[in-house]
Amino acid sequence: MRDEIEKFLFREARLLDERRFEEWMNLFAEDGYYWVPAAPGLEDPYDGVSIFFDDRAVMKTRLQRLDHTRIHSQKPASRTVHTVSNVEIDGDYGAVGEILVRSAVTMLEYRLEKQTAFAGRCRHLLRIAEGGGFEIAWKRVDLINCDGVFETLSVPF
Amino acid sequence: MTVRDERALRDLVKSDRVHRDFYTSPDVFDLEMERIFARAWLLVGHDSQVPNPGDFVTTTLCRHPVIMSRHRDGRVHVMFNRCSHRGAQICTEPRGNAKRFECPYHGWVYDTDGRHAGAPYPARYADGFLKAGGFDLAAVPRLAIYRGFVFASLGAEGPGLDDFLGPMKSHIDAMVDRAPGGEVEASAGAFRYRFGANWKIQMENQNDLYHPMFTHASTTARDGTQFRRHGAEDDEAGRVRLLKENEALNEQWEELPVGGHRYGHTYMGMFPMNKGQSGPVHERYRAAMEARYGDRAERAMAVRFHNSIFYPQWSIQYLTQHIRLMNPVSVDCTENVIIPLRLKGAPEEMWRAALRSNNNSHSPAGMVMSDDMEVWVRCQNALTSPGNDWVVFARGASEEQADNRGSFEVRGTSEANARHQHRAWLGYMCGEA
Repeated sequence: MRDEIEKFLFREARLLDERRFEEWMNLFAEDGYYWVPAAPGLEDPYDGVSIFFDDRAVMKTRLQRLDHTRIHSQKPASRTVHTVSNVEIDGDYGAVGEILVRSAVTMLEYRLEKQTAFAGRCRHLLRIAEGGGFEIAWKRVDLINCDGVFETLSVPF
Repeated sequence: MTVRDERALRDLVKSDRVHRDFYTSPDVFDLEMERIFARAWLLVGHDSQVPNPGDFVTTTLCRHPVIMSRHRDGRVHVMFNRCSHRGAQICTEPRGNAKRFECPYHGWVYDTDGRHAGAPYPARYADGFLKAGGFDLAAVPRLAIYRGFVFASLGAEGPGLDDFLGPMKSHIDAMVDRAPGGEVEASAGAFRYRFGANWKIQMENQNDLYHPMFTHASTTARDGTQFRRHGAEDDEAGRVRLLKENEALNEQWEELPVGGHRYGHTYMGMFPMNKGQSGPVHERYRAAMEARYGDRAERAMAVRFHNSIFYPQWSIQYLTQHIRLMNPVSVDCTENVIIPLRLKGAPEEMWRAALRSNNNSHSPAGMVMSDDMEVWVRCQNALTSPGNDWVVFARGASEEQADNRGSFEVRGTSEANARHQHRAWLGYMCGEA
């Protein structure tokens, strides 16, 4: 199981690095969401602001925009490397068929002569999909600088 | 060039253009700090950020670290975050609740109203030295609160808040009156970001109706939909709706009112894309508003502006429900704080939709802000180059004729609001404001 989960996470990271955003989105369940709070310890996305809080509909808008020919903030596009590590698996969390996976993520981003580092704690709630494999019920990334001062962000963590 | 020379300043601002030094000269920036930012009223935040006695937030006012706190008598204080002894910042937590503030260096303590409350081992000071006073935390020279909005002035001299706001008071009312509880609340935290451009470039952008269809072209998805910035949704709580009317929108820009008032304040009317609302959530909102305002409910509910800029440092965006603080850091760097506002007493669903709207459009990853910041930085980068000294604001030139109180209103994609800001800038810089 660990091997399959790690492969899933590593592939997810690679899809983002290769800017295969639609494929990345399709890793999420239809009711899935992606959440990056803008404050530490936020328990409810409606208690405070979020850098990303995307259901599939918002995700689709956002990711289609990343492919738009006139997205100025991605001209030139960011190059990124996502590194996923410290994977821990908690099969007791959630419902039957759900697995909570904790990991650490770092993203290095290069754009316009500037390299920026991001790091955070990551939680995926994975569901075992019908045809085998996993889908993401939710993914939460707690950046260490979540309430800090940012410049423009475009690529998900 | 010495920018302290009035003629040199006037040479920077023409009726339909400004010189690139306006954005790139460190000397101009230093003078702005003195003549604009130490004179105008600046927004510190909202008093709902410190609801209880002892609550405090640390923030930056212009370039200076300050503490906003609520003392046990209920009053809000804003003081510089600097120990009166050896000058250390006494508090670095972003927010919290404190009985007293204690300096980490030698343990001098201050009450939550800034009053000096003692120094350890006082015996080595001369008799009466500490008691003689003068060791309270320095308060901002002037402080005033209007409907929960906490204003400070870095200068003891300058127009009073009533005079400074003038007709813009009604632009604060227009936000707050939409709350059935008659108050707004800044309880969701804030986004903070920094970009490498002069503060005035953002000022000129916020009421600019000429840019959205180009700068924000990418928010129009391939299927022609654009996400709507909407405060209250019909029936689906918190859902962010997509909009199919983007094409028609461009035609309608020219009808939108844009205008300004004394001291460089400007505003823009509500976008035509935001249609009237209906549905059960909206009906509950209407009922709550009618219970408070009676016959005046309809008017109080109407969202009349897209945004209003309180020159030189903050703005309100109405449907998205936030205030934006814009603090200059240096001639080529500005830091924003975006603070969403909850309408007290309005249905929870409306708040959820507003919060999500803020996340989508105005987070550091926001689909609107990211392209705005990109173009501002591109302006700043390119304006350092020689060969073309002028930046052109000639669209709809001379249309705006201010009345005898300094107010005007025109329509559409005119660059009148930027020109109005430029004239106010000259007034401040030449000592007329």
